[in-house]
Amino acid sequence: MAATKAPSKEPPATKTAPLEAPADQPIPAQPAPRPKDTPRTMRELREARRGKRASRAKPAENVLREGLRLERVPDPCVLVLFGATGDLAHRKVIPAMYHLWRTNLLPHEFVLLAVGRRPYEDDTFLDEVRKSLEEFSRVLPIDEDAWRSFRGRVRYQRCDFEDPSGFDALVTVLDDVDDKEGTRGNRLFYLATQPSQFADLVAQLGRVGLDHERHDGGWRRVVIEKPFGHDLDSGKRLNREVGKVFRESQVYRIDHYLGKETVRNLLVFRFGNGIFEPLWNRRYVDHVQITVAESIGIENRGAFYEETGAVRDVLQNHLLQLVSLVAMEPPATFEADALRDEKVKVLRAIGTHPADQATEVVRGQYGSGWVAATPVPGYREEEDVDPASETETYVAARLTIDDWRWSGVPFYVRTGKRLPKRSTEIAIQFRAVPHHLFRETSSEPDANLLAIRIQPDEGIMLRFGAKVPGLGLNVRSVTMDFTYGSAFNVDSPDAYETLILDALQGDASLFTRADEVEEAWSIVDPFIDAWANAGPPEFPNYDAGTWGPDAADEMLAREGRRWRRI
Amino acid sequence: MDLESPVTLNEPVLRWSARARSIPDVEKELSRIWARQDLTTEIDGQPGRHVAARTSVMNLVVIARRPEIAERGAATIQSLTGRHPSRTIVVQSADPDGPSWVDARIEAHCVLPRADAPETCAETIHLIAGGEAGRHLSAIVTPLIIHDLPVTIWWPGEPPFTSRAAIDLFENADRLVVDGSTWSGDGLARLAELSAMAEETGIAVSDFAQVRQSRWREAIASIFDDPDYLPYLRSLRRIAVTYGTRDDTGAPGSTNVVKAVYHAAWLASRLGLHVKQPLAAAPTPSSKSNRSSATSHGKPPMSKGLVATLSDGHHDVSVVLRPQKSDYAPGTTLRVELLCERRGSELRADVTAQAESVNVRLFQDGVDCLERHFLAARRGDVDLLAEAIESGGKDPVASGMLHAAARLAG
Repeated sequence: MAATKAPSKEPPATKTAPLEAPADQPIPAQPAPRPKDTPRTMRELREARRGKRASRAKPAENVLREGLRLERVPDPCVLVLFGATGDLAHRKVIPAMYHLWRTNLLPHEFVLLAVGRRPYEDDTFLDEVRKSLEEFSRVLPIDEDAWRSFRGRVRYQRCDFEDPSGFDALVTVLDDVDDKEGTRGNRLFYLATQPSQFADLVAQLGRVGLDHERHDGGWRRVVIEKPFGHDLDSGKRLNREVGKVFRESQVYRIDHYLGKETVRNLLVFRFGNGIFEPLWNRRYVDHVQITVAESIGIENRGAFYEETGAVRDVLQNHLLQLVSLVAMEPPATFEADALRDEKVKVLRAIGTHPADQATEVVRGQYGSGWVAATPVPGYREEEDVDPASETETYVAARLTIDDWRWSGVPFYVRTGKRLPKRSTEIAIQFRAVPHHLFRETSSEPDANLLAIRIQPDEGIMLRFGAKVPGLGLNVRSVTMDFTYGSAFNVDSPDAYETLILDALQGDASLFTRADEVEEAWSIVDPFIDAWANAGPPEFPNYDAGTWGPDAADEMLAREGRRWRRI
Repeated sequence: MDLESPVTLNEPVLRWSARARSIPDVEKELSRIWARQDLTTEIDGQPGRHVAARTSVMNLVVIARRPEIAERGAATIQSLTGRHPSRTIVVQSADPDGPSWVDARIEAHCVLPRADAPETCAETIHLIAGGEAGRHLSAIVTPLIIHDLPVTIWWPGEPPFTSRAAIDLFENADRLVVDGSTWSGDGLARLAELSAMAEETGIAVSDFAQVRQSRWREAIASIFDDPDYLPYLRSLRRIAVTYGTRDDTGAPGSTNVVKAVYHAAWLASRLGLHVKQPLAAAPTPSSKSNRSSATSHGKPPMSKGLVATLSDGHHDVSVVLRPQKSDYAPGTTLRVELLCERRGSELRADVTAQAESVNVRLFQDGVDCLERHFLAARRGDVDLLAEAIESGGKDPVASGMLHAAARLAG
């Protein structure tokens, strides 16, 4: 029989203030009850503490790390490169690893375990690596000493990604590497494979337990290359599949644009200088233009591009990342999640109004034309492209960010293939002066403009008005130009070097988080849906070598603006 | 006189050279360089590339006591023209007892960063001041600096930190670059003077002796990145630094110990340790054993080095700097040993260096538990100067280290 607790007859141990005072009396001001020995006043507190040792906080962090100027060398580790025989690995990832090694930025206890389907021996694979370095290394000739020591750190492991036994063997190989090379169980899995293989690869890694971080140290991280899905549903599905195996903090989604020196400088420019941030809002900014222009076509990637198009290839990732970096609020700290929280807030604030698709988004496809004095074929004439293709090679959009800072300031973004030149630029167009003092003069200055050039000729330009020397009062726009190449004649690291080093160090600041990916898809999905439901587009609608379809110019002209001439 | 040289990517070339006999004439020449509209180079015999307007990110003043130091300093800085374009003023004093005079050579060096880019140019003023003029460094330098740009003074050798003329110069500068490992004797007195001067003038200090050891600090810090070993960090009980000497006895004062002191000073400043007893000669064994030791080896015994005591307010941390005969440059750090004791458990770190690496071995309660190697290429003056001038503003780690080193020096 269960005992029931008898109601206590004893009075409460501590008297408390009555909840209600008699109506004719004020409620007495009475401090909350405290145990008898608790100091009540500052004097009591001070006296109670007299002679006692000040409590020492536990060392929460390694104070020896503070202020070290050298780039921190990552922990001993193995980088497991899936898709090691592929184009991305040879053009970007392996040269980046070689340069990090050459500049002593990798730990001595480091192994690059290249995993691929081809039946290579270590030496055969290394011969291929050497050839790739000679072609794609950003510093030539190859440093023979560095190469000799680097090749000693590279192993090749054959593995058919569809054969589970290959992953079982991988576990043994990695344990063996740990034992022999002192890599201490730290592993970075780099998926430089076809995107369709990401989910299966991650599942296999999970199946053999390679996702488990060990209690005695031994971190496990996975780097995934874009595209992160094909649309919102597939993006969510991929996140879900990856999330079944790895925690979000173990996942590094790489968008190489974020590793570019000028993009990183954007954060320094905005938050390391006091003079720009007060102007960085709707009060002073008229509009923002972001251009990612490419003069090349699809470069034998017809099959890939047919399924991708400009929206998925550039707008969903690079362009929206640039928008979020330009528009974000200052993060409280420079830590990964603080930074990404602010970026994702911008993406959430981007309004998508399906009704405005027709006027606020323009798509295009290039026809034949001339680029750099060379005749080039139209998109539909490219190899592996449907002669009636409806894939867009150009997109321009007018985005609005519905928040306190940017309400009413349009962000015009555009990207395209076969434009007249390769150029990536962010232009902040400031408002004109409120009162035109020099209207009587022959030339009124243009409104101020700040252009941040990301490629080529990385730099920053500020345009302002100045008086033309002479007796009259003529005003002309002049520029103050900062060019990276002139002020810092240094060899900037490749974006992949920056990002791989960050991933090895566990710094996810410049990687895309799952919610960012999904928010970005939710911005572009309505465009794609609207096009799918509309009639066939009148493609091609711009000639190769021009700045895109007329409709893109009209989109700005309707608001009395025009695209910057780049 | 203007000179034209063939264009070579990333190689500084002399584009302008002129002489002046007074500071105002130097200023005039500097204006003349950039006023010329037709400063062009020839390409394939044709007038070609327009030389870009000057680019400067700082004023760099080199104080050289001897001509060869001035030449070496100028050559080092020319290598940095592309990376840190600066107005460089190399000042050399001569004939201090003669009449006052100034002789200056003004040069513009340019670098072509890319084939399709304009040249980046920066000026160098080689200035020799004789007699009384040579003693008023601030009066020579101040009129020649580009205003609003930071002023860095690189003073190779042994700067007179307590002289009024030097302090006047430092008060008008942002950063002083020295190399404490080249100072004569043990260098401890100069360390204390440098720290006092930095405090008085507010100038930031970059010491090559500190910068050279950055890979050691990285290696030591890495030990405590591991959460298993981090708790030991606050339980440091002993720091022992072994440094190379060429002196047979390694007697205190015979070898520069600035680099060794910086190791202890860095740990002290980061861990908030104060100096309980400054560095002093370690007690030697009794004279009897000393004699027997000398006779058994036929040569005088090696000194026990210097000892000091730090404290965190509750526990003492002993510091030992001990010499070891070595072919490396005197004062080179050979080994850093740390001992931490926590709740009956002991962590011992043994950090050593080889030609191009720093190696860490860690023992927990006597068990070998970690070994790591950090590649550390030897660094020349160009690299060291570049790093020193890249650290804009005051570096709290460097100034904390200097302050603690001065306290250790006593």
